[in-house]
Amino acid sequence: MGKWGIAHVYASYNNVVITITDITGAETLARCSGGMVVRQDKDQASPYAAMGAAQKAVNDVKEKGITKLHVKVRAPGGNKSKSPGPGSQAAIRAFARSGVKIGTIEDVTPVPHDSTRPKGGRRGRRV
Amino acid sequence: MAKKSRRAGRRVKDKWKSKSWYRIVAPDIFDEAVVGETVASDPESLLGRVSEISLQDLTGDFSRTHIKVKLKINGVRGGECKTRFVGHNMTSDYIRRLTRRRQSKLEAVFTVRTKEGYKVRLKPLSITNKRVSSSVKRSLRKKQHQVISDMAENSRLGELAQKILFGELPKKLANECKSIYPLKQVEIKKSEVLSVPKDEEIEMKVITEEELEEEKEEEEEEKEEREEKEEEEEEAKVPSKPEVIEQFKDIKGVGPTTAEKLYEGGYHTIQQLTDASKEELTEVEGIGKAVSETIYKALHD
Repeated sequence: MGKWGIAHVYASYNNVVITITDITGAETLARCSGGMVVRQDKDQASPYAAMGAAQKAVNDVKEKGITKLHVKVRAPGGNKSKSPGPGSQAAIRAFARSGVKIGTIEDVTPVPHDSTRPKGGRRGRRV
Repeated sequence: MAKKSRRAGRRVKDKWKSKSWYRIVAPDIFDEAVVGETVASDPESLLGRVSEISLQDLTGDFSRTHIKVKLKINGVRGGECKTRFVGHNMTSDYIRRLTRRRQSKLEAVFTVRTKEGYKVRLKPLSITNKRVSSSVKRSLRKKQHQVISDMAENSRLGELAQKILFGELPKKLANECKSIYPLKQVEIKKSEVLSVPKDEEIEMKVITEEELEEEKEEEEEEKEEREEKEEEEEEAKVPSKPEVIEQFKDIKGVGPTTAEKLYEGGYHTIQQLTDASKEELTEVEGIGKAVSETIYKALHD
């Protein structure tokens, strides 16, 4: 009988950070990010990096006896982007493929009821 | 560099080995179902941890997947963590599914007190059939506040939690508000237990496995002692009055009246009399110094 863990997937447009904890969230069991897998900074948020990071994290966690995961996906939130980046889907897929059982998948992006003014000014970011 | 990182790796492994798993158990309103397992190096650090679990996992009811219950660890007994209910939440996708166009979403925040004095914050969310004006919303909120605080005052925290989680409170809210404006759906979106009344507070405590065993042993010892005592008592069942008096009369200087007095004073055997000192004997009502001395002498010579 394996134990449950929680996989916190923080997927922004710049990186993917995966932290696997026990069900209370107080004990971190494994941690990996897109930047630890790929060389180029621009690839950190890519699905490929997310996949690698997810696999790494799951391998660590399997050693510790966790075979089932609840997934909590989040985007930066607040006054920033509220939709998860490209890595989230790939990460979840990688979890499923690496043999752990997946429980609930939930979006836990912090969404403000009001919010401070997003950066970029009135005319937006000018590139 | 490589050496350093290897050493760091080893240290992490060692730390992991020193940790052990503890089972988290839900409070009695959920029939003490097992929530899951958590890991810690020191059981003290378990206290105050909050675990969130879907109501489906707790009760096995598939229609309540979207409700997440928060349970806080408030005591450890051996390998088991006791918890208390500290609130609930609903998944954001469920809430988003409820909201539609041309309907109004009515949200409110109420802080109420339960029967025992728990301060609880409830956040109901209701969807009206059609879009409504703000004055209707206002009166709906007023009504809801009344219903919720009434219900809270008349129920204990556990009961209130059950009413919230298993749909009794939302149903009642919808029914009561029907006369003002028909509501399509009512949910308690979120609840939080803000404060615990003083007389309900339990000291957060860790009872280790060894202490538990000790406790058990002590209990067993006590039990044995009790049994032994009972046996002894049975053996030394108070002999009947005439028998004792007959026995006491054999002592030199003790007549039937003195014997009776001794019996009333709590002495039932000759052995007890021999064990008693002169002073103790005088404490018996109706026995003076002289009499006690004669008894003492008679028994000890």
